Amino acid sequence: MINIIARALLMSTPLLIGATAEVIAERAGVMIIAVEGIFLIGAWGGFVGVYTTGSYLTGFFLAALLGLCVALIYGWITIILKQHQIVTGTALNIFIAGIVAFFHRVIFGVPLLPLTIEPLEKLPIPLLSKIPVIGGLLFDQSILTYVAFLLALTAYFILFKTAAGLVIRSVGENPVAVDVVGISVEKVRMLVILIAGVLGGIAGSFYSVVYLGMYTEGIIGGRGWIAFAICFLGNWNPIGAIIGALIFGVAESIAIYMQSSGGGFLPNEVFIALPYILTIILTISRKQFNVPAKLGVSYIKEN
Amino acid sequence: MNPKMRDLIVSSFLSVFLGLFVSGLLMLFLGANPFSVYGRLFSFLVRDGYTFADIFVKATPLIFTALAFAFTFKANLYNIGAQGQFYIGALTSVAASLLIGPRLPGIFSLVLILIVTALAGGIWGGFVGFVKARFNANDFLVSMMSVYVALALMNYLLRTVLIETKHEYPQTNPIADTLFIPTIIPGTRLHAGFIIAILVAIFCWWFLYKTTIGFRIRVVGLNPVAAGYAGIESGRIYIIAFLISGALAGMAGFTEVNGVQHMLVQDFNTTIGSEGIGIAILANAHPIGIIFGAILFGALKVGGSILGQTSGIPSSIIGIMEGFVMIFVLLSFWVRKKLELRRDIAKLKTGVNR
Repeated sequence: MINIIARALLMSTPLLIGATAEVIAERAGVMIIAVEGIFLIGAWGGFVGVYTTGSYLTGFFLAALLGLCVALIYGWITIILKQHQIVTGTALNIFIAGIVAFFHRVIFGVPLLPLTIEPLEKLPIPLLSKIPVIGGLLFDQSILTYVAFLLALTAYFILFKTAAGLVIRSVGENPVAVDVVGISVEKVRMLVILIAGVLGGIAGSFYSVVYLGMYTEGIIGGRGWIAFAICFLGNWNPIGAIIGALIFGVAESIAIYMQSSGGGFLPNEVFIALPYILTIILTISRKQFNVPAKLGVSYIKEN
Repeated sequence: MNPKMRDLIVSSFLSVFLGLFVSGLLMLFLGANPFSVYGRLFSFLVRDGYTFADIFVKATPLIFTALAFAFTFKANLYNIGAQGQFYIGALTSVAASLLIGPRLPGIFSLVLILIVTALAGGIWGGFVGFVKARFNANDFLVSMMSVYVALALMNYLLRTVLIETKHEYPQTNPIADTLFIPTIIPGTRLHAGFIIAILVAIFCWWFLYKTTIGFRIRVVGLNPVAAGYAGIESGRIYIIAFLISGALAGMAGFTEVNGVQHMLVQDFNTTIGSEGIGIAILANAHPIGIIFGAILFGALKVGGSILGQTSGIPSSIIGIMEGFVMIFVLLSFWVRKKLELRRDIAKLKTGVNR
């Protein structure tokens, strides 16, 4: 039982980072449809960085950098050139899948055995991790897990308690008003999406660097979309994102537990599909949404 | 020819060309000469009738999945789940084929299987439209997630109920050969499914642009509020659009199973849904343009897999080519708008001067 909860925290980590990134961006009116691709390129970049240099820092840095590059392209097409966000994001996702597969092949050829790296070790926090039961649960986790929760709380603070947060939220609700005050809507949106790209890249690197210690083509398998969904279900609020990420973390850790314990009363596939079914159910059942008014709408200045 | 149409054609060709050009630059990373790679790619494609016909074999399911995306796109809905509806279609098609076997006359059973498959895909897709209409659930998210559910369902059935008699691999028995979709050119794999795809594309065009319900779908897409004032129930439109969209994607399962594979294996055609979206973007969601876009992607797929087998170029270069083409198409939308604006301004100016 404790195992499942500890693992749930682990599995919720990338979802929480990704969802927080999505919340920040969507509050400013930009949906990051390229999130699946950003996760994928982050997972690959993290793996390549660690495999080639042996340094985890390089891995995370490369993942963040690649995420930033994708966000830059996505932002340029959708925010500056004002093209359709869903269409652009979908095109980028296909493109990234191709480019990652291509360069993986260019760099590593076709190895007989899958290339592996040592997954990043846990980082027990001194003293706190010694607390019985809770210590092992909460304070003996990967460093990314602590970062994820701190990040969500910081994002909450910035979005709702600071002037900068007010600007970000206003850009998503009423860009004209922001423009009138003399703040460039495009600049705010670009900035926000670049931050989200960096975070998304790091979130993706979790799967290769922290969790699996290897890279495969299907490594993300829709988890980017789940982060996207958590942002919706969490009502565009980082605290909601924490709750959502934990729910999905539990679902995923139950799925892993059931698979490793040799199934049970239900076929494996039910547990594999569980997070996705859960998303559908939650999407349907959630009634009161607080959608940013200009979500997905390009801002075109009137002359 | 009106300038808008001319821009569209010129920019589409330019986007394809630029996409291939930039992908060619990437080949330099592998130390390959892009000119000789493209030369070889082209000569392979026209080398023999079998390979050439394969372009249209590959294009067939892509026409369906692209139409599936385009159909909902016209109603400002997003069916990102064509891959899942395709899986459901393939499952239904193979299950129905195995069930019917050689018992019924071929042509009669083929029509029956097609209808059942379209229905199954339609119901799977229609669910998204239903929850959108009834609960205002986000169609984009629900359709995306339904892909993974369909995949899990397919893997489960292939592992249990539908598994081959030898129980060795997660795949089905081959279907009876009376249920193969007949080939139209002897000596190739090109089957009548391609003709069905073209007819369906033409039908979609007619349906969207020449019928009342098609008109309503487009009106809801353009402005749901105005559509509401005009007495169009957007909820019903959502359900209809997703039903048809899912049925279209499901039909791709029929042509793939009964036309090409003649059985169902695990992990086949995993990119058909996303490529369909790419083609729909390329064709600006126009059903007739989709036919040509699908043939282009079909050619890339065939050429790419030959390249992968015969030279050092990994076949994932195809994903890059497709991606670049799509990105350039998106950029061309922007350029076209600028050109149009400039033309309008020029028109206004000459009008003022006169």
